[in-house]
Amino acid sequence: MLNEERIILMTKMAYYEEKEGKENVAIGKYFRSDYIAVQILKSFISALFAYVIFFALYIFYDFEDFMQNIYKMDMIIFAKNALIWCGIVVVAYCVISYIVYSYRYAKARKSLKSYYNNLKKLGALYNNQ
Amino acid sequence: MTGLLEFREKLKLIYSKNEMFIVPVIKFLLTFIVLNMINSHLGYMSRLDNIIVVLIVSLLCSFLPNGCIILFAAVFSLLHLYELSMEVALVGLCVYLVMFLLFIRLSPKDSMTVLLTPVLFALNVPYIMPIVMGLLGSPVSAISVGCGVVVYYFLNSVVSNAAALNSMGSEEAAAKLRMAIDGLLNNKAMIVIILAFAITVLVVYLIRRMSVEYSWTIAIVAGAIFNLIILLIGDFLYDTNISVFGAVLGSLLAVAAGKVVQFFRFFVDYSRTEKVQFEDDEYYYYVKAVPKMMVATPTKTVKKINNTQRKPGSQETRNTAEAGSRRRVETERTYASRGGKPQEAARGPRSYRKDSVTINSDMEDLTDDYEDLD
Repeated sequence: MLNEERIILMTKMAYYEEKEGKENVAIGKYFRSDYIAVQILKSFISALFAYVIFFALYIFYDFEDFMQNIYKMDMIIFAKNALIWCGIVVVAYCVISYIVYSYRYAKARKSLKSYYNNLKKLGALYNNQ
Repeated sequence: MTGLLEFREKLKLIYSKNEMFIVPVIKFLLTFIVLNMINSHLGYMSRLDNIIVVLIVSLLCSFLPNGCIILFAAVFSLLHLYELSMEVALVGLCVYLVMFLLFIRLSPKDSMTVLLTPVLFALNVPYIMPIVMGLLGSPVSAISVGCGVVVYYFLNSVVSNAAALNSMGSEEAAAKLRMAIDGLLNNKAMIVIILAFAITVLVVYLIRRMSVEYSWTIAIVAGAIFNLIILLIGDFLYDTNISVFGAVLGSLLAVAAGKVVQFFRFFVDYSRTEKVQFEDDEYYYYVKAVPKMMVATPTKTVKKINNTQRKPGSQETRNTAEAGSRRRVETERTYASRGGKPQEAARGPRSYRKDSVTINSDMEDLTDDYEDLD
């Protein structure tokens, strides 16, 4: 015998699993600290790579001047400034990533909680039959 | 209004029934339009500026994920830039990489915005984008819209400097590189538009989330006004040469587009707003419920057919033998309910309407459903 309530619930859950649930289930597999740590690590690498690109463009923008002055400038100060800017960019991006991914994790957990409640309800419907 | 609401429901029904075909067709058309625009605006590599190549890539993208449309658009534009100048292509690659690494990975759902913003710029209706993204997206959408503006202005600066780049020899690589970077960094109009669009997205988002009546309409109008004011201030301060008439007309178009989005996404009846108050052990609840404005789509069902002439005991036929004879057909105009509960729609007093019509037997094909109850 078909149970209409059960079918509606299962359809809703299947739709959720197919759409936004896919991403949320993947997030829900992690502990909060693990998820955020992995994402910040990815952000760190991305920001570092992006900074290298910026730095290369900065050097090549005025490459002739740079090559003419390379022996006159204090390379230690230049490298120190470059590293300070690198640190600022990377840390700023990691802080933004922390905020974004913390919010995303909290949202995913909230959504999954409702999904697991539906799972419990479905189990109860099977038991009552 | 009822007609429009019925039309919306029909559109939704058609989309839900044929989603499997409609989505690939939309992706195909989008890719086709984007690649043709890239070819017509850049078009330096003659091998890419070929309808067969565009058709093949469009067909491919119709079955691949959305990200592939963006990837192919980026590859097409970079190859055209490479044909013009390797240094410019290198700067383009760096711009795309930085965008991907820093911005798009934070909001991958809005990545299509980066593609659509330059398309709307090319169609001279860019002001639609921040308002629509404010309505449909999140505050992070401001970043995607900004990235789209950067892409458009970068490609635009390359096109306007193409003659100068062509005249430079291979020994002037540094100058070419500098010219491409200057096209980005010294473009005040681009900075003003990024600022205007980002603020518009945020304003529209914040207002449409407010718990006030007509919040979406207020958000659309306020967004358009904010956008216009920032553009005019930017033009006044930095002499960006933004056309005031174009901006006003574009803002009006953006308001119209916003209203269309509102009609499909958030069309409610504030006159039937209900406010309820209750409490549980931990909280007091002050709830405002605004009903959505909708009508059910009518479906015609032929319920009863009385044949005017029938001999008792004769074999039942209803085609050639009855050709030309007139029948009394009672049609029942039922309204499909929402949420997959059709029986509920039939219960209510306003949920169905009966029409009695008399039709010729040769009109059988016009009826949606046929049920012989005799």
